[in-house]
Amino acid sequence: MASRTSFMSKLTSAFILLCFIPFLFLSAGCKRENKALPILGNQDVVNGDTIRHIVPDYLLTDQDSQQIRISGYGNKIFLADFFFISCPSICPKVQKQMLRLYDKYKDDNRVMLLSHTIDQRHDSVTVLHRYAQNLGIDTGKWKFLTAEKDSIFYLADQYFVSVVDDPSAPKGFDHSGRIILLDKNRHVRGFCEGTDPESVTAFFSTVDRLLAEEYK
Amino acid sequence: MYLFIRRFLYIALLVSVSTSCQTNPYRQGHELYKINCESCHMEDGSGLAKLIPSLKSSGLFRSTPECLICLIRHGLDKNQLTGQQMPANKRLNDVELANLVNYLRQEYASITIAVTTEEVNACLANCKDEE
Repeated sequence: MASRTSFMSKLTSAFILLCFIPFLFLSAGCKRENKALPILGNQDVVNGDTIRHIVPDYLLTDQDSQQIRISGYGNKIFLADFFFISCPSICPKVQKQMLRLYDKYKDDNRVMLLSHTIDQRHDSVTVLHRYAQNLGIDTGKWKFLTAEKDSIFYLADQYFVSVVDDPSAPKGFDHSGRIILLDKNRHVRGFCEGTDPESVTAFFSTVDRLLAEEYK
Repeated sequence: MYLFIRRFLYIALLVSVSTSCQTNPYRQGHELYKINCESCHMEDGSGLAKLIPSLKSSGLFRSTPECLICLIRHGLDKNQLTGQQMPANKRLNDVELANLVNYLRQEYASITIAVTTEEVNACLANCKDEE
């Protein structure tokens, strides 16, 4: 009698296990499915073609006085932010998170980092150069960029980063601490809040997803 | 059963009383740190590379509290090597300065000997940068 009960119990367990096997396969399949990251921003239709939002390819000056355009780096994806060196509020925290991203991707030639200063009056090329040196980074990988104030403010707007003059804000600027992810075609594909380490941790997987998508 | 419930309630009462009696003496200091220092020195005091010094490895907290009090009140001029400047904190009063200094010394140097407001005031009168 006891052995019959034990046999029935084993049979029930085996049946339950068999019922779950298809679900296990299905859930594994779902995890493998990788949807493309969306292209952020408005889209226009011109002559039947869909035109997606693209960040303009402005001529910028880097910390070594070199004139650069991001299109010149062709086959890379970009992580970008807007900051200023004497910023007493959010910038150090955002740069700390940019440093985390730099550390993660410093040996990955497909990724570049761009920090744009919004304070042209104080952040000269010399000051940017010294800042980069003290941050201890490779300036071939992470560029500190400047341009005319109007260009930088417009560029920030195109990156969906809020930057405004505000006399009541610390040092006269009110700006967002977003870190933006650009693909090889200068489409905005994602962002995170640079003041929030958890948001940046989650952003690592967004960057990895774009890398997987762009370099199949 | 009644005895068990009564014992359980006694224990629960003791635990809740002991928990409520534990007050954090550095609470205001910690709040002041978050408001005045954290944006540059970071939540964990780690700073930013060579630009903003880490508080974790700073010997400043082990020296006399006078240095720390004057530094917080008057800040530091622009560092010629890094271009960074530590802003002054003129709005902090003597009680707030004492609480902030006590929090910092306890947090980063495990020093629990508290600085009093009298000591803060005496120190402020002798700061080199006092205008």
